[in-house]
Amino acid sequence: MTLQQPALPATAVAARPARLRDRGRLFQEVGMLAPAVVLLTIFLVVPFLLSFWTAMTNQPLVPRPTPARFIGFTNFLRIFKDDLFWTSLWNVSRFTFWILPVQCGLAFATALLLHQKLPFRNFFRGVFFLPAITSMVVVCVIWGTLFQYPTGPLNQVIGFLSGGRIEPIDWLGDPNWAMFSIVLLSAWQAYGFQMIVYLAGLQGIPDELYDAARIDGANALQRFWHVTMPGLRPTHVFVLVITTIQAFKLYTQVAILTQGGPKSSTETVVHYMVRAGFEEQKLGYASAVSVILFLIVLVIALVQRQLLRRFDV
Amino acid sequence: MGNRLLSFLMASIALGGLAEAKTVIHVMHQGDPGWVSTYGEVAKRFETANPDVDIELIYAPHDAYNEKFSAAVMSKQLPDVMELDAPFLANYVWSGYLQPIEPLVDKDVIDDMTESNVAQGTYPIDKELYAVGLTDSSVVLYGNRKYLEAIGARIPKGVDDAWTREEFEGYLEKLSKLDGVKWPIDTFRGYGIKTEWITYAYGPILQSAGCDLIDRKTWKSVGTLDSDPCVEALTMMQKWVTNGWVVPQSSGTNQFFAEGHPAALALGGHWFYAEAAASMKDDIVVMPLPKFGPKGASPNGTWIWGITTASEHPDIAGKFVSFMLKDKVFRDYAKEDSAYPGLKSFAADSPLYADGGPMAVAFEQASKTAVARPPHPAYPIITSAFMGAVDEIFNGGDVKAALTAAAEKIDEDIEENDGYPPFDEQQ
Repeated sequence: MTLQQPALPATAVAARPARLRDRGRLFQEVGMLAPAVVLLTIFLVVPFLLSFWTAMTNQPLVPRPTPARFIGFTNFLRIFKDDLFWTSLWNVSRFTFWILPVQCGLAFATALLLHQKLPFRNFFRGVFFLPAITSMVVVCVIWGTLFQYPTGPLNQVIGFLSGGRIEPIDWLGDPNWAMFSIVLLSAWQAYGFQMIVYLAGLQGIPDELYDAARIDGANALQRFWHVTMPGLRPTHVFVLVITTIQAFKLYTQVAILTQGGPKSSTETVVHYMVRAGFEEQKLGYASAVSVILFLIVLVIALVQRQLLRRFDV
Repeated sequence: MGNRLLSFLMASIALGGLAEAKTVIHVMHQGDPGWVSTYGEVAKRFETANPDVDIELIYAPHDAYNEKFSAAVMSKQLPDVMELDAPFLANYVWSGYLQPIEPLVDKDVIDDMTESNVAQGTYPIDKELYAVGLTDSSVVLYGNRKYLEAIGARIPKGVDDAWTREEFEGYLEKLSKLDGVKWPIDTFRGYGIKTEWITYAYGPILQSAGCDLIDRKTWKSVGTLDSDPCVEALTMMQKWVTNGWVVPQSSGTNQFFAEGHPAALALGGHWFYAEAAASMKDDIVVMPLPKFGPKGASPNGTWIWGITTASEHPDIAGKFVSFMLKDKVFRDYAKEDSAYPGLKSFAADSPLYADGGPMAVAFEQASKTAVARPPHPAYPIITSAFMGAVDEIFNGGDVKAALTAAAEKIDEDIEENDGYPPFDEQQ
């Protein structure tokens, strides 16, 4: 599908006037660019434009006796009329709202910890990064057994610690808990990536600044607040934006653990799109959803660029 | 090194040439690991009997079978023989993927089919047979003898004296208060919320209550799926769930025979018998589905075999299907799986379903109360919309609103496809 990565600031290539003696140079440049441009066009630009076109038709997933026809914005109107779509949008917003503090907070805390000169520091960096390189599918299956109701390990631990006073929770089967459970496991699985980014950011702050702060008599908390935090500003923005965009594309966990239930409490935009396209075989409709998702992600990316500009990155 | 590579290449070309001489028949199927290995053995035996044929099995997992099949259609990789879920037959035939199977398989197989087996393989528009199977299916009400005796429940003798709705709900209430019973009934929510089970097992409850998923004359769902009897029937099921009478989804599918027997009744498929009986022995009672309204209803339809229009060797494909359905080892495995007979000869050697057998009630349902799922090309949407509504309802949503939304979704799709001609001409 046409989910765009956030646009990276393109390095402007100064266009040279193609004067005669520069012609050879121009050929070289075009020749170097060609493979990338051709591949990007075939695998990114064309499918993307096609999905815009498909969104305007009633194209089914598999060819049928009745040919598909152009139906204008009917798909979009249907989507906006469908409560389930709004529910799925609301759900990914809820998911994002929870995942940002939980996942980024966890990543930031562990990065600060691992930035200290601790023994076995590199070992722990590796350990904390392990879930991030484990397949999400595997993680979901494992957490699925942890969440089991009423006798899963998680409920056993809670029961033991509370002396049986807290009733077992139906983590994935209760509409009030299902999304929260997915937030928990998603944050646990993916925070390693943000942690690495934060570590890189921390290493990018010059030691001289800390030395100067010490000479000025700043204590640890003040050094953190006045040196570390300002130095990490661009990192924060980058991490928050990347996490937001990933959060909006939530799919795997839902597809494996809850299939959008219970009571549509974990239905997400991508899951809604896949179901419309493959289960109900309405390719046109699903393309229209993908176009809407693209526009949402585009807006987030544009806001990101504005924020980055503000922090002179 | 170069020489070795060269000889390897030569060898592989020679082997490739050898394989070329054989007719390759691709067979797409689903099933659990036991079935997968059984198909492998059937294919081997067929190849031994027909040395010039090479059977290539393509396995697609049950839960994603339709998606896999769509992918095969789009990439022009349709197999010769495919297993298919009966309610999707109309969609496949309408789309032009299947060819009439009667001329391709042995006549004695066709003559051997039970009425409901013929029904599940027939496309209602041209009345042609497009698929055959060894088996059919049904859902019954399993009960735990100890608990039923404890509450003094009446055990029905056959389909005709099935429990009425009042009796059934009264028993649920009594069971809920009985010591040792954690849940009065398991309706197998553990299969998930996006599974054909929902339409298959709960649909008959609607038909028994006097309504349906879609009107089978006008092919309109609004006014049928959201009619009062349907709203009433699903409100009743919602009540069972909110009362805590139904095993929740996250508790799996074995609560009926698990340690301590926490579930007293099980509204389960015929395939559930083997597993449950192995663990509970004589404590298991098999009863017909209760009557929720004027008449009883039960589901039918299972995974059957069709031959695609893409097949270049339909005759050989048909030969393989006939071979498989008669294969003794294949039938023995099906029997072990408590498979529900769809061929008379298979019923004869399935004591389970014979008169007086423990599952005789299920076989009786097939001729008395079986209702097929709506044989319409829009079936993928019908079932998907209904699943969504059931999830909403079981989690406390508004019944009328959920059913209305589902019915509108179904009608919208049929409209979008111009009524799936020739179905629109039936009105």
